Amino acid sequence: MNGSFSTRMLRTIAAWVVVAIFFFPIYYWTSVAFKHGNDIFNRPPKLFAFTPTFDNFQKVFGISLGSGGITVTPGGGNFYMAPRVWDSIVIATLSTVLAVVIATLAAYALSRMNFRGRHSFVGWVLSTRMMPPVAVAVPMFFIYKNFGLIDTYTGMVLIHALMNLPLAVLLMKSFFDDIPSEIDESAIVDGASRFMIFRRIVLPMAKGGIAATAVLCFIFSWTEFLFALTLTTTSLKTVPVVSSTFVTSIGTAWGNMAALGAASIIPAFIFILLVQKHLVRGLTMGSLKQ
Amino acid sequence: MRVAQARRFVISDHPLPWLLPLVAILLVFTVYPLIYNIWLSFHGFVPRRRALEFVGTENWVQLWNDARFWQSLVITFTYFAIALIFELVLGMAIALLLDSDGFGFGFLRGVLTMTLVIPPAIVGMMYLLMEDPQFGVISYLLQSVGLLNPNNPILATASTALAGVLVAEIWQWTPFMVLIFLAGLRALPPEPYEAAMIDGASSFQIFRRITLPMMSKVIAIAVLVRGIDLFRVFDYVFVMTSGGPGASTYSLSLYAWQQTFSFVKWGYGATLSLVTLVIILVIANLFIRIAKVRW
Repeated sequence: MNGSFSTRMLRTIAAWVVVAIFFFPIYYWTSVAFKHGNDIFNRPPKLFAFTPTFDNFQKVFGISLGSGGITVTPGGGNFYMAPRVWDSIVIATLSTVLAVVIATLAAYALSRMNFRGRHSFVGWVLSTRMMPPVAVAVPMFFIYKNFGLIDTYTGMVLIHALMNLPLAVLLMKSFFDDIPSEIDESAIVDGASRFMIFRRIVLPMAKGGIAATAVLCFIFSWTEFLFALTLTTTSLKTVPVVSSTFVTSIGTAWGNMAALGAASIIPAFIFILLVQKHLVRGLTMGSLKQ
Repeated sequence: MRVAQARRFVISDHPLPWLLPLVAILLVFTVYPLIYNIWLSFHGFVPRRRALEFVGTENWVQLWNDARFWQSLVITFTYFAIALIFELVLGMAIALLLDSDGFGFGFLRGVLTMTLVIPPAIVGMMYLLMEDPQFGVISYLLQSVGLLNPNNPILATASTALAGVLVAEIWQWTPFMVLIFLAGLRALPPEPYEAAMIDGASSFQIFRRITLPMMSKVIAIAVLVRGIDLFRVFDYVFVMTSGGPGASTYSLSLYAWQQTFSFVKWGYGATLSLVTLVIILVIANLFIRIAKVRW
């Protein structure tokens, strides 16, 4: 659709304005992370004219960016959150690995092998994606309590892997479906076993798909709230849960919270840009191909 | 040899060894909780004895007579419908706007993906700050143009609290629709458009008669995926309002969660979460049938 120069110009301006509106809250939130308390609580809100400070990051991460370079000082303050970031990273990474391994195996069978009930099996996997977290979290809380899994990496990794499995299975199946099955068949004629075909031929061809699946699983675990809120109490907490605890009786530590939030967005954003090619397929669980 | 037999089975064409880990974890984490939930819905926690006791259908009777349950059902459906309509319409409009190979458009699409990676709980906190009656930037803007009475904080007034939550929801997930619709638009064949141009169709006619019908499958999938998440909304309401003021922003998920963990009504909480589950499964499966979505 080529219009005249002026309509194209108008379209470009409109596009920038719309995206700027969507970007504004992120800018504002990031700016709060660099503000002193009195600048945050100013009325009218200060958007651009404020003296930037690293105090918030220092409190939250124990890292100061002074004149002498970067120094790390693990703080003991209420808002020292570096260990919580570590918890989030461990849970997201391990649950991603677990989900991707299990999903890849299952997706290969669902993509390549003909067996009775395959369609209903896919339907069952899809319907587990529809379960509201609260319907899983309520019973899981009691089960975890009995097995001593509350506040453990094991418990969180298992539940986040479960949460991501339907997505990972359906997504990996769609990537395997893209690889022509003639390749498998000719390898079988040559005497290769199923597992050998899977490991030596199909997996390497699906590398991009595995990466995309892993990134999405990581992000969904990173941003998950209800399970983390319910199944952890004190010694283990993830970033989304902990950020809701900055509200205290003497007010909310907005600056510290914004510092944590802004810093937690960056790794996820970098990851998602790396797999942008497969993003829509991932968001629709493999049903739309780009 | 047993071992050799087992080995041959594992590498054979049988799907079972491949599906076994998935089936095991799905059984443990979905079927078992489901059964436990059903069991729990017929029990009640007796604080005095610190134990669960069989109460028959008491929880289900209570559910039927609980005005707050029906209210939270209405709130959940309202939230679902308003958010879905806004996200679909805005998403389509912005996708049409960004569907261009012009300079900078790739960058703009990249910026839009940013909202999707922020934890919804943190988005809730962001909007809690921005909607603060004293120093929130959104409140300030609305107050200065006279659309908002400074004495009625957005999130602490029953009539506006849900709208305040919906702003955060729609902000975060409209880009989700934009990206899906953009992918759909880019995959459309050019021939129908060329024919329509020759016939002199207006751009609205082209959108209505060509783009929309060809995009119907994409739209159906977007509605399904987003709709499931909308119906189980929890994070925003938990962080921004905890259901208040009064009970004006209680979603079903939040109500079930609070009954279980804040008010230790374990049996009733399980009943509520079970109802939420059934409603989602029924609606989603009906939708899949009607819209003929296939995986």
